[in-house]
Amino acid sequence: MKRQALFLLWLLLSVAIVMLYLGLGTPDGNILLQVRLPRLVLTLFAGMVLAGIGSIYQLMLANPLAEPYILGISSGSALGSILAGLSGFILLMPLGGFLGAGLTMLLVWHLAHQNGRFDKSRLLIAGVIAGMFFAACISLLMYLHQQDTALILGTLMGNLGRIFGQGEWYFFLFLVGLSLAILAYLFYCSHAIEIMGTGDLYASSLGIDVVQLRRRIFILSSIVIGICVSYAGIIGFTGLIVPHLVRFIFPSGQKKIYLVSLWSGGVFLLACDLLAKHLLTLELPVGVITAFIGCPVFVLLLRKS
Amino acid sequence: MKKFVHAMLILSAIFCFSCQGTSPRKEGGIVVLSPEVAEIVCALGAENQIAAVTEECNYPPGLAAKQKVGNFSAINREAIIALKPALVFCSSLEQEMIAAELGKLGLKVEVVYPGSLEGLFSAIGRIGSLIDRQTEASKLIGTMKKDIELIRQSSKGKPRPKVYLEIYRNPLMSVADSSFVGVLIETAGGDNIFSSLERDYARVNSEAVIKARPDVMICYSQDSLEGILARKGWQNIPALTNRDILFEKDLNPDLLQRATPRSVLGMKQLRLIFDRWQARQ
Repeated sequence: MKRQALFLLWLLLSVAIVMLYLGLGTPDGNILLQVRLPRLVLTLFAGMVLAGIGSIYQLMLANPLAEPYILGISSGSALGSILAGLSGFILLMPLGGFLGAGLTMLLVWHLAHQNGRFDKSRLLIAGVIAGMFFAACISLLMYLHQQDTALILGTLMGNLGRIFGQGEWYFFLFLVGLSLAILAYLFYCSHAIEIMGTGDLYASSLGIDVVQLRRRIFILSSIVIGICVSYAGIIGFTGLIVPHLVRFIFPSGQKKIYLVSLWSGGVFLLACDLLAKHLLTLELPVGVITAFIGCPVFVLLLRKS
Repeated sequence: MKKFVHAMLILSAIFCFSCQGTSPRKEGGIVVLSPEVAEIVCALGAENQIAAVTEECNYPPGLAAKQKVGNFSAINREAIIALKPALVFCSSLEQEMIAAELGKLGLKVEVVYPGSLEGLFSAIGRIGSLIDRQTEASKLIGTMKKDIELIRQSSKGKPRPKVYLEIYRNPLMSVADSSFVGVLIETAGGDNIFSSLERDYARVNSEAVIKARPDVMICYSQDSLEGILARKGWQNIPALTNRDILFEKDLNPDLLQRATPRSVLGMKQLRLIFDRWQARQ
């Protein structure tokens, strides 16, 4: 009963946040359709991807601190995106980000194998090391190109205020469609992921091809994270906090946790972006807001659990 | 023992030669780390006093022959100290830390960062007195003030076009009235659409640009005309429908973004652009 009431409350709050996001300041039809709606789609998409993949990684890697960025894909994507921007190809930044994510994925995947065998711990270590290396590359670029600090910080701290060109928008919608299909497939795998979370041996004994499933999840999740970082930059904490909050209410049942994480991730990021836009007259990077909300919430959860 | 003496002699010779510079050093010259100050010093006729500059100091073209001591934010401190300059001119922002370090080493360092026209005049006066060019400085200030007054007079009573200056596309960034370039736009008879921002150069919202409906857009964000015209929701902005969009090739950013005597030229060009816009109204 209490859970149902919470669910209903969150649903109402979500609708209110979406309405507020679209209607605040009574924008005219042009701004509503051409500026706010694309930003709403990007924000919802980014929040969904981060929280959904976060909930999967925390199970798959059996690590409560796992988040979408832990396997280095985001840093690789950010580096690719920044390199494209610094070379003067601002419009091709998503392509650079996507290439960066793809190359990082291949590198981490290669490093995660030992003598042809996949190792979960090696995947985590390889991901963290690759992430640190690319972060160092970004720091170097920031030092060498101080005049482009805004572009680099926009990628590192999240930038949802992207201005889409007409063609760019249609391409983005195609990528969102592709990502939603991947997220739907991951939903379909939820049961197997949940079993895998209890241990490889047990999962294998139930007929699940653990190596194959993990590989598939890694590749597919890397694709959606690559798309997300390419357009929205790196937004921390959403992928970490939201699945934990959801598990606080639904302790078991990955299918339910995954679905609610997708929904809550999107709404949480919308609320953070609203604050980022309106807290000061100067628009703040959304990554700062997610961190400011995320850290205290995480501490609170830690104390409660 | 004989071998040891020979070896010592050879080593000493190598040491002596290595201590000699490859080019003769000009001690007591001026080192200029800011392109703005370099332009002012040259406008005062003291180009020959400059011993070294940074890579960004590209005007007047004669500076290309000067020794380079790094770029704006990555300064080669040792190269400056080796020159034993009588005076080092720094800019503000990232260079303030370098200025403090060089000051600690006993070098005379002057930080010059004019943020307004009045600031520019006083900077020219100060630089003039520091390099012994007071007369030239007063003359230059007088000419500039006269030219600026003429620009002000020519814009009096005329409609002011709303101007949007874009310095970055992703994220979108523009300038406030309080910035130097904002001052130039206002003085030349334009109306900067972001009169007050929290910083001189700050992130802005796409919605705010659409709502403001600028008449003239100055694009220094490396975007193309096609790219701007394709932006979602920007189609009804007058600057776009009338193609009143200026790029770096149309209006040299150094004329607006650097506080130098050439800023007057920047304002004159802005005035011409605004006149063309007014003629079509």
